[in-house]
Amino acid sequence: MADIQLMGLLNATLQAATLLFIAALGELITEKSGILNLGVEGMISVGAVTGFMTAINTENLFLSILVGVLSASIFSSIHAFVTVILKQDQTVSGLILTILGLALSSLLGKKYVGKKLMIKIESIIDIAEPSNVFEVLLNQNFIFYLAILLMITTSFVLKKTMFGRRLEAVGEDSRASDSMGLKINKTQFIATCVGGAFAGLSGVYLTLSYVPYWTDNMTSGRGWICLALVIFGGWKPYRTAIGALLFGFLEALVPRLQTYGFELSPYLVKIAPYIITIIVLIILTVYKEGKTGAPGNIGRPFFRENR
Amino acid sequence: MNNYILSKKTVVNDFATFYSFLIGLFIAIFIGSVILLIQDQNPINIFSLMIKLSVGSINSLSSSLNKAIPLILAGLGISIMNSVKLWNIGAEGQIFLGAIAVNLIYINTEIYNSTLFIIVLLISGFIGGSICILLPAITKVFFGVNEIITTLLTNYIIIGLTVYLVNGPWKDPKSLNFPAAAYVGDEVYLPTINGKLSSGFLICILFTIGAYYLKEKSVFGYEMRIAGGSAMTALYAGINAKQKTFYAMLFGGGFAGLAGAIELLSQTHRVSIGISQGFGYTAIIVAAITGMRPLGIFLVGCLFGALTIGGTVIQTIGVSSYIADIIQATTLIGALVSQFFFTYQIKEVKNG
Repeated sequence: MADIQLMGLLNATLQAATLLFIAALGELITEKSGILNLGVEGMISVGAVTGFMTAINTENLFLSILVGVLSASIFSSIHAFVTVILKQDQTVSGLILTILGLALSSLLGKKYVGKKLMIKIESIIDIAEPSNVFEVLLNQNFIFYLAILLMITTSFVLKKTMFGRRLEAVGEDSRASDSMGLKINKTQFIATCVGGAFAGLSGVYLTLSYVPYWTDNMTSGRGWICLALVIFGGWKPYRTAIGALLFGFLEALVPRLQTYGFELSPYLVKIAPYIITIIVLIILTVYKEGKTGAPGNIGRPFFRENR
Repeated sequence: MNNYILSKKTVVNDFATFYSFLIGLFIAIFIGSVILLIQDQNPINIFSLMIKLSVGSINSLSSSLNKAIPLILAGLGISIMNSVKLWNIGAEGQIFLGAIAVNLIYINTEIYNSTLFIIVLLISGFIGGSICILLPAITKVFFGVNEIITTLLTNYIIIGLTVYLVNGPWKDPKSLNFPAAAYVGDEVYLPTINGKLSSGFLICILFTIGAYYLKEKSVFGYEMRIAGGSAMTALYAGINAKQKTFYAMLFGGGFAGLAGAIELLSQTHRVSIGISQGFGYTAIIVAAITGMRPLGIFLVGCLFGALTIGGTVIQTIGVSSYIADIIQATTLIGALVSQFFFTYQIKEVKNG
């Protein structure tokens, strides 16, 4: 019995972590280029609602995922346009993206509240009560495996390919990169839209698998956790994944606390991830003397002064 | 081959922010109209209804201004913190902690004189907001930890704390399905001016003038600007940049905390998750749209308060209240876009 409970916890942890991780990985890519996008919450929401609407109307899973990913990516291009092309404040623009994204998705999804999905992203093999780790892994759907693939690919692309090196150079020191002839605007624009696409995939995972329905504000702050995750992970894909597992574990743990006989209030446990992130952020900043791994140029617009 | 590069204009129109705001508002109304048209609604009808029901009578105007109070106060706090070039994303949490502080003092104190007590409660709200930003302030000043992230994360910690309090220690058994703390007694209600408009609005006017003076006219404001501008300049001028930063942050948090106190004592009368409906985030829009100018924050705060009320009333005829959020957000996007054309110029450079 204990085993089944434990495996249930693991199962829920992996699902919650997948959702957080994909969007966090996208934000990581965006931030690597020196663009901070505080709009993750809004982008996830847009991806979630458009994916859900497509699923209800077409009952085509592939199309729904595609629409969710693309619409979140297009939505994030607002941020790219305002901050990369027009050089306006990234904090403000990102926040608008969150507010606008939540409002737009509520508006779009109004008629879809309470509708039942005919299709959802199915597990590889559906096991009601997995009893060992292997069964838990099989019980995940393909987006879980896609997330692992994305993690490995992103890490590889960032470290080993020209595109990745250029992306990092742009984010680290855009002035130097510019004099080397790198296309700053193009790189940052692409990175922002890729981040949006990843957030969209998270959103689709949310409405088509994690909680297969739509309601207002169902992202419930997860976008902000993703931002915290990037910092937690020191802007490294693998460490971000570890962070996602930890945060996913806490999210999975909260509703189970009472079954384990803990007296701890579930409301206080929900705060734990945020406190942990602040502590990690402080430790990282102090320990590395200000070098948390953050891209050198993050948050600062780049434009060529008169030469 | 000709190349185009961006450069900052040397002379920027004095009214650039104001014009940008007007252009932004125009764009937002246009986009709002398109969205309404898509939903088979007549935008002219909807907008005139929104105007009529938000500013058309003394009663509705009072509700609009009541909604403006938290936006203005939190916006002023954000603007003060911006003097040292820092962002306060944590106004939402500070509003909640302000209200929590008020309730904490209220339930643990004997009342002798209710006028005096109300003032004490308002001050506790201010202090509550300052306490909320204490951790981000300390970590910023001593370790250089990014304040955007810490203030943001604090929001979730404080909102989590609120949910815990109203479901646990402070839960009022009489509030059945909606978890909330017990109502405060009417002896500590903020008096109203005309039966509807809270006297908190007067506090708002006072604090707007105060913030204007603090930012633009006082020595402290001048020192804050230098401290935020360049650490080296501050050093040469003998200004303790860390100290100014610290105070600016505590002030910023305090303003938002006061907003929470007023919201509790004049609107909700009890602590619940409904103390703030995203006021802290809207306040960021308000502050940013005005270029952090206190008087602008006051006016735009009033306008956005009216928009929020307008959004709420059109819900009754089946139009989503989110249209107000969309108008607010797109106004800022439009303003940012037009701000670009006021502050930058595109230059043509001949290469080779």
